[in-house]
Amino acid sequence: MTRWTARERNDDELNHILSGEGEILPSSGFAASVMDAVRREAAAPPPIPFPWKRALPGLLAGVSAVALVLVAMVVAATHLGGTAVSPELALSSPSAVAFLFRENVRSVAGWTLLALLLTFVSLKLSMRLAAGEA
Amino acid sequence: MSASEDQIDVERVLAGDIAAFEGIVRRWQGPLINLAYRFCHDRGRSEEMAQEAFLRAYRGLGQWRRDAIFSTWLFALAINVYRSELRRIPAQTVALEDIAEPADTRAPDGGFEGRDRDATVRRAVGALPEKYRETLILYYFHELDVGAAARSLGLPEGTVKARLSRGREILRSKLPQLLAVPCLKEA
Repeated sequence: MTRWTARERNDDELNHILSGEGEILPSSGFAASVMDAVRREAAAPPPIPFPWKRALPGLLAGVSAVALVLVAMVVAATHLGGTAVSPELALSSPSAVAFLFRENVRSVAGWTLLALLLTFVSLKLSMRLAAGEA
Repeated sequence: MSASEDQIDVERVLAGDIAAFEGIVRRWQGPLINLAYRFCHDRGRSEEMAQEAFLRAYRGLGQWRRDAIFSTWLFALAINVYRSELRRIPAQTVALEDIAEPADTRAPDGGFEGRDRDATVRRAVGALPEKYRETLILYYFHELDVGAAARSLGLPEGTVKARLSRGREILRSKLPQLLAVPCLKEA
């Protein structure tokens, strides 16, 4: 006599129940129906490809703008980090934004102008492309 | 079913002979419909799901790498289709907690009536969390072949074994009367 654990018995029972699930037969028209769908699919015009050539300038402008903003943020953070330890700053200007505008107004204004310019250029470009499309 | 037949048909379809796809459909319609049926237990829906799987296979034939067996690729693709389809419109199942074991359906020999018991266990499998349900369905669909189930699911065999074990554990805990009978077997 071999002692079966409850778990082995259960697994065996489960195997028996779940393996014994009956098979169903495909309906007679199934293959024909699939082939109809496949033929329709083959006859359909191919999907319109994404207009990479037209979108590329806009995408490049966007990526450049994001990169510039990141650089600006790093520069600003470096400035802030360099002077944040100053007790003067801690006492007089608790807000980092206020500090940036007060201490680095020229450089911040420059970056802002550049960002605005890029936004303007990319907007104009998109509008021109859209007008050309229409 | 011959792997070379599949390969020949695939090459012909890729070369523009759409009619060659019918060979693939005829060879694999039974397995794909039956697999879908195990997921949804609805004959009409299983044919719809299998048709969608064939369409996706047709669109993606070029992605089949010849180093993999065609059926493995086809089953993996079909499982993805069935999974998304059942997420979109779930099969009609009841919550695992709500599955009642047959109250008093003992056969004269003291066991549960087979049909009630089997139906209850299958309902419980359908109510398992997705990852255990899929693993159990694939394991039994591939006739207890862990390797085949693992390949169809794109998972390591160890993961499949662990999920099988956990899935069975959940079933045992939810159906203690049906699946917790220790006994002796003659050697």
